[in-house]
Amino acid sequence: MKMILKTAVLSVSAGLLFLVDVPPQFPLHVELVPEAHAILGVRRRAFRRGAVVGASVAATDSAAYAAEASQPAAAPPPAPAPAPAPAADGKPLPLGTVVSSLPAGCTSTPVGGVNYYYCAGNFYRATFQGNSLVYVTAKP
Amino acid sequence: MISVNSRMASAMLALGVFALSLSAPVQVNAQAGVDPAATQILKRMTDYLDSLKQFSVHTQNTVEDLLDSGQRIDTDVSANVTVSRPNKLRAERQGELIDQAFYYDGKTLTLYNPSDSVYGTEPAPATIEEMLHYASDSLGLIIPAADLVYRNAYPALMQGVTSAVVVGKAVINGVTCEHLAFSRPDVDFQVWVADGARPLPCKYVVTDRGTPALISVSTVMSDWDLAPVAADASFTFVPSEGDMAITFMPLDVSSGNAANESGASK
Repeated sequence: MKMILKTAVLSVSAGLLFLVDVPPQFPLHVELVPEAHAILGVRRRAFRRGAVVGASVAATDSAAYAAEASQPAAAPPPAPAPAPAPAADGKPLPLGTVVSSLPAGCTSTPVGGVNYYYCAGNFYRATFQGNSLVYVTAKP
Repeated sequence: MISVNSRMASAMLALGVFALSLSAPVQVNAQAGVDPAATQILKRMTDYLDSLKQFSVHTQNTVEDLLDSGQRIDTDVSANVTVSRPNKLRAERQGELIDQAFYYDGKTLTLYNPSDSVYGTEPAPATIEEMLHYASDSLGLIIPAADLVYRNAYPALMQGVTSAVVVGKAVINGVTCEHLAFSRPDVDFQVWVADGARPLPCKYVVTDRGTPALISVSTVMSDWDLAPVAADASFTFVPSEGDMAITFMPLDVSSGNAANESGASK
């Protein structure tokens, strides 16, 4: 549980931290207005994040957050948001399902130079969704 | 009731700090409009940044956040960025919750998570600015310090500005910096620009004024080096043993295609 939480918070912050990196980008070319929106976004999401810190719904919120926050406000719709890590009930997920963290107890298997993680009846591979590391269900 | 009281207390504290910090040398008159003295310094800084062929800088970034309990949590990240125009950029970011590096060598770009031992590499356009557009539009990447290398930032910064003032002079990391404050609808930003022959940014703060929480993001820049020792090879990612290559998830088709084609065809 703690691990899941940590990962979830991490993905929350991954989104957030890219905001942090907007300022270093100092003169904020066209970014100032989007950033303002992003800040507003932070405010709105802060409430969700509060829930994240204390609850197991963390993954859902944080994933949505990460996907949202990784996009400039003015940008077109972001890629599909990762779903929460599934419960370890062995039920297979549709291929292409994106999760922000792997379920517990995955074993990793390289197939054709790609690392797959097998757990709870699903194979996953790691991928970057924007700056965030996510896992997507796949067929080896 | 308790929360209202504590909120008031915080607000009063903030007001107190605000008053304290500004009371001594300068009175800021927010109704003063746009002071050319402030905009000239800002322009001098953006022109100077435009003129740099290469630089490296350390940034310390803080994002304020509020839990729904109202408790404030700040998250800090350090970043080191090295830029060599027209086609090389490297950045490392580290914080409590992030550990990521970015490489661009004029041919490919790589995002690397050392603690996860994974990296993604993609062919990239031939100049930094094209690469930044491509990374943002096609991969959804945000690159630290991207805006430092965009040209002609001044008009974009000044867009919609209703108030611009020179607050005074601050000393940041031992450097004397002009403190400028700007206001746009719902957003304030403050810029500190180094005095003297090298008008580099010392610090930058953006505040969301559209909410009583007044959430800010801030960046302090230090260790500017305008002649960094950076061999060409240092902009090319070389995986360590055990690192695994992974892919970038394409952005939504409807959003990514046009930008992708225009970026890649250059």
